[in-house]
Amino acid sequence: MAGHMKTDLPAHRNIFRMIAAPTVWAIHFLLVYCTAALWCARDWGSIGALQAVIFGYTAVCLILVGILGWQMWRQWDYFDDNDYIHDQSTDEHRREFLGHAGFMLACLSFVAIIFDTMPAIFAATCQ
Amino acid sequence: MTDATPSRIGEGYRRADLEKHEVHVAEGIYPPTEEMLTAPIDPELADAQKERLLAVWNDPPGWRYWSAVNNSEVGLWYSLTAFAFMLIAGCLALVMRLQLAIPDNDLISADRFNQFFTMHGSAMMFLFAVPMFEAISILLLPAFLGARDMPFPRLSAYGYWSFLIGGIFVMGSLLFDAGPAGGWFMYPPLTTIDQGVGPDIWLLGLSFIEVASIAAAVELIVGTIKCRPPGMRINLMPLYAWYVLVVGAMILFAFPPLIAGDFLFELQRSFDWPFFDPERGGDPLLWQHLFWIFGHPEVYIIFLPSIAVAAMVVPAAAQRPMVGYNWIVLSAVGTGFLSFGLWVHHMFTTGLPSISLGFFSAASEAVVIPTGVQLFAFVATLLAGRVKMILPMLWIAGALAIFTAGGLTGVMVALAPFDWQAHDSYFVVAHLHYTLFGGMVFPLIGGVYFFYPFIRKQMMSERLGRISFWLTFVGFNICFLPMHLTGLKGMPRRVYTYPGDVGWDTLNMISTVGAFVIAAGIAVFAWDLVRPKGKLMEDRNPWNEGSLMWSHRIPDHYWGVRSIPYVTSRNPLWDQPGIVERMDQGGYYLPDAQEGLRETIITSAIDARPQHVTRVTGPAWCTMWAAFFTGGAFIFPTFHWYPPAVISAVLAVACVIYWLWTSTARIPENPMKDVNLGLRLPTYVSGPSAPGWWGVFITMLGDMTAFASLIFGYFFYWTVHPNFPPPLADHANGAWVALSALCYAAAWGATRVARPINRSGAVVMAQVLLSAGIVLAIAGAAAIMLSVAALDPTSHVYPAILWAIAVWTAVHTIVGIIMQGYCLAGTIFGKVMPEYDAPIWNTVLFWHFLLITALVSTAVVGLVPRMM
Repeated sequence: MAGHMKTDLPAHRNIFRMIAAPTVWAIHFLLVYCTAALWCARDWGSIGALQAVIFGYTAVCLILVGILGWQMWRQWDYFDDNDYIHDQSTDEHRREFLGHAGFMLACLSFVAIIFDTMPAIFAATCQ
Repeated sequence: MTDATPSRIGEGYRRADLEKHEVHVAEGIYPPTEEMLTAPIDPELADAQKERLLAVWNDPPGWRYWSAVNNSEVGLWYSLTAFAFMLIAGCLALVMRLQLAIPDNDLISADRFNQFFTMHGSAMMFLFAVPMFEAISILLLPAFLGARDMPFPRLSAYGYWSFLIGGIFVMGSLLFDAGPAGGWFMYPPLTTIDQGVGPDIWLLGLSFIEVASIAAAVELIVGTIKCRPPGMRINLMPLYAWYVLVVGAMILFAFPPLIAGDFLFELQRSFDWPFFDPERGGDPLLWQHLFWIFGHPEVYIIFLPSIAVAAMVVPAAAQRPMVGYNWIVLSAVGTGFLSFGLWVHHMFTTGLPSISLGFFSAASEAVVIPTGVQLFAFVATLLAGRVKMILPMLWIAGALAIFTAGGLTGVMVALAPFDWQAHDSYFVVAHLHYTLFGGMVFPLIGGVYFFYPFIRKQMMSERLGRISFWLTFVGFNICFLPMHLTGLKGMPRRVYTYPGDVGWDTLNMISTVGAFVIAAGIAVFAWDLVRPKGKLMEDRNPWNEGSLMWSHRIPDHYWGVRSIPYVTSRNPLWDQPGIVERMDQGGYYLPDAQEGLRETIITSAIDARPQHVTRVTGPAWCTMWAAFFTGGAFIFPTFHWYPPAVISAVLAVACVIYWLWTSTARIPENPMKDVNLGLRLPTYVSGPSAPGWWGVFITMLGDMTAFASLIFGYFFYWTVHPNFPPPLADHANGAWVALSALCYAAAWGATRVARPINRSGAVVMAQVLLSAGIVLAIAGAAAIMLSVAALDPTSHVYPAILWAIAVWTAVHTIVGIIMQGYCLAGTIFGKVMPEYDAPIWNTVLFWHFLLITALVSTAVVGLVPRMM
C-alpha cells in the first residue's frame, strides 16, 4: 500500500514516541549509576553480583530500545517507497519523519546503553 | 505538495483527541485551495488593513518606547545588554592576563584576582552565553516562523528587565570590592565559611537571572510548538527552531537543580542549616552534584544554539538545503539527552568509585557521536553545494576548526586517568576555551554578520569583518594553544601569580599577547556593530536564503509579518514562488486588525493546523515594575534585610496579577473571527489548545525538576551516610503529615471538580468548590509546617532537609492558593465564565503538579524515614 494511503493514527503524531528510546537510555543510566553508588556505599555484596545486576538492566533496556526502534522503523516504512527525505507538508511525510528520527534515536540509544555497560566490564571496582 | 483534498473543517480536520474539550473550534476550509491562494486582492482594502495593522503594532512614541514588548525591541535590548556584559567580562580576563604575563607580578592582589576569575566565568556563562541565546532567539524566532510576535511578549520583557537588574547587581559588586571570589562553581566549604556578601550576591543574583532564563525558555518552547505558521508541520521546521526546542527543554531540566542547590546553599548561609557541613551530617559533594547536573548540560545549552546559527548559515553559503535534516534533528535531540549523563566528569578527582566514574566517562565518549554527526552533516552540505565563502561562513569555518580541536581535548579529559593528571590545570582552561570559543563565540559573531541585515536592515562591513575574523582567530590560537602546554607543565588554574623559574614564563607571556590580539579583533567587531552605516539596504534577501525570515520589510514594520503565510516547504522562499509578494499584499492569514488588538495564529503542536487567534499583550509598565520588585525580593536578602524583601515579593506578585488580569485571556467581543482564506478561528480557547496552558505546563516541568533535585539531596544523604536519619533522631509528627496529605488531596479534588462544574454552568457550585479548595490548601500547608515545627533545623542535616522540603511545599501552596483565588475572583467579576474558563484549566494543571509535590513531600517527610 502506498504511504499516502495509510491511516494516520494519533500515535503517529506523538513526538514523545520519538524520544522514548533516549528516555530508556536515561533510565538505564540512572539505574546503573544509582545501583553502583549504593552498592559501593553500602557494601551490598560482591562486584560479580553488581555486574550481574547491571547486565540485567542492560538486557532489559536493550530489548525495550529494540522494540521501540522496530516500531519507529515500521512508522518510517522505508521500504515502501525508499523515502528518506521528508520535506512535504503531508501526513505521510510527517509520520515518516518522526519514524525516521525516532529510529535513529533508538540506534543512538542502543549504542549509548552499550557504552554505559562497559565500565561494568572494564572498571568493575569500588576503589 | 499537500494532502490532496482541502476539507471542510469539522470533518477530517477536527481531531477528537486534541479538541474534545473546546467550546469553539476552527470552521471553514483548510488547507487553502490553489484558487484561494491566487485570488486577486483588492488594493484599497489591503491598504486599509495595512494602516490598521501598523497602528496596532507600532512602538510607543517618545520615552514610552521603553514600555515596548515587541520581540524586535526586547530581543535587541537583550542581546546588546548581554554583549555589554561579555565585553566587561572580557576586560576582566585582560587584566588577569596582564597579571599573569610575568612571574611574581603584583598588578592586582590575590583577592581581586579571585573576584575577577569568578566573575569572568560567572558573567560569561550566566550574563552572556545563555541570555545571548535567548535574546537572539526572541529576536529571530518569530521571523523564522512567520509569526507576529512571541506568544507572551510581556514575559520576554519581564525576563529582560530581570536580567538587566540582576546583571548590574552581580557585576556591580566588583566596584565595591565585594564580588564573589569562590570560583564560578562556588564550591563549599570555601564559600559557606566566607564572611563577606560575595557568595550571597552570587547565589541570589544569579538565581534571579536563572528565573529570567527559565521564563525565556518557556516562551521559546511555546513559541516553537504553538506559533508556527499553518502548514509548517514538525518535519518542516527550520533547523534553528529544532535547536531552540531542544535547548529550551534542556534549560528546563538543567537550571532547576542549580536553583534547588542555591536554595539549600542560601539556607545554610543565612540560617545555618547544615546541608553542606559534614560535622552535622551534611556533605559538600551534594553541591558539586547539583551544580554540575546544571553545569554540564549548560555547556551544551550554550553550544547547540550556536550550532543552530551555523545550521542556518551553512545552507545559505552552499545554496542548497541541508544534507541530512533528519540527522541534524537526531544529533540535536541525542545531544540534548546524552549531555545529562556527563556531569560527574567534572568530579573525577573527588574519590567516587571507579565504576561510577566509568559510567560518566562512557557517556562523555558517547556524546561525541551525535556531536560528530552534525559536523559531518555540515561538511556534507558544503561538499554537495556550490559554496560562496560569504563572511558569516568564514566565521563558521573558523568555529568548526576551533571546536573540533576543543572536542579532541574533550575526548582526552573525558578519560578519568588522563583527567587525574590534567584536572585543575591550564590544560582544562585551554580545553574549555576551545569548546566555548569554537562552539559559541565564533558562530555567534558569524550569526550577527548573517542576521544583521534582518535586524537593522543594513549590511555590516565585509572588510572590517574579515579583519576582525583573522585577528580573533589568530589571537585565539596564540592565547590558548600554548595553555595546553602550560597545563601539562603543571601550572594550576586560578593562581594569581607564579614563580619565575619553573618554565611557565614564556608560555604565559605568549598567551597574554594573544589575549590582546583577540581583544583587538573583538573591538573591531564591536565598532562595526555600532558604527553609523548610512542608508538602508535595497535587497531584502542578501544571502539568498530560503527561510521565511527574509520576507521582512525594509524599512522595518513592527508587525512581524504582513500576513501569516501558508507554508508547504522547508525553504519557502526557494520553493514557493510568489510567497513574499502574496504575504506583502496581505493575501494569507490574519491580514487585518479590525479590533485594534495584537493578534497571532496558534496552530497545533505537530501538524500546525490553525486552532486559535490569540490576543498577545501590548506595551506595559507593569512588567518592568514586576521585574523591579522581583529584583528586590532577591537582592534584599543578600544583606539580610528580610522585611523589605517580603514587601518586594508581595508587590511583585501584585504586579503580575494586575498584568494577567488586565491583559491575558480577555473575554472576546466575538467568539469566532474570520482570518481570511475561508477560515474562521476561535478567539478564546482553554486547555491544551491555549498557549497559556502550555506555558504553565512547561514552567511546572522545570519546577518539578527543582523539586526532584531536593528529593535527590535527601536520598543522597541516605546513600552516602550510614547514619541518615540518625538512629535516635526525632521524626516529623506523623499525624500532622497524614492530615496534610489528606488536605492536599481534597484541595486538589475540589479544584479539579470545579472545572467541569463551572463549564456546565453551575457557577455557584464551582465557587463553593474553589473556596473549599483554598481553605483545604491553607490547612495542608499549615499541617506540613506544623509536622516539622518541633525539629531544630540547625542541629543536623536530617531535620534541615525535612524543613527545606516542607518550606518548598508550603511556598508552592501559596502560588496554588493565589491561582484558586484568581479563578474565584474571575467567576465573580466576569473574567471567567462557563464558556471562557482558561484560568481554571491552568489552575487545575498547576494543582496536578502541586499534588505530586505534596504527596512526595509528605511521604519523604513522614513515611520514608520511619522505614529507613
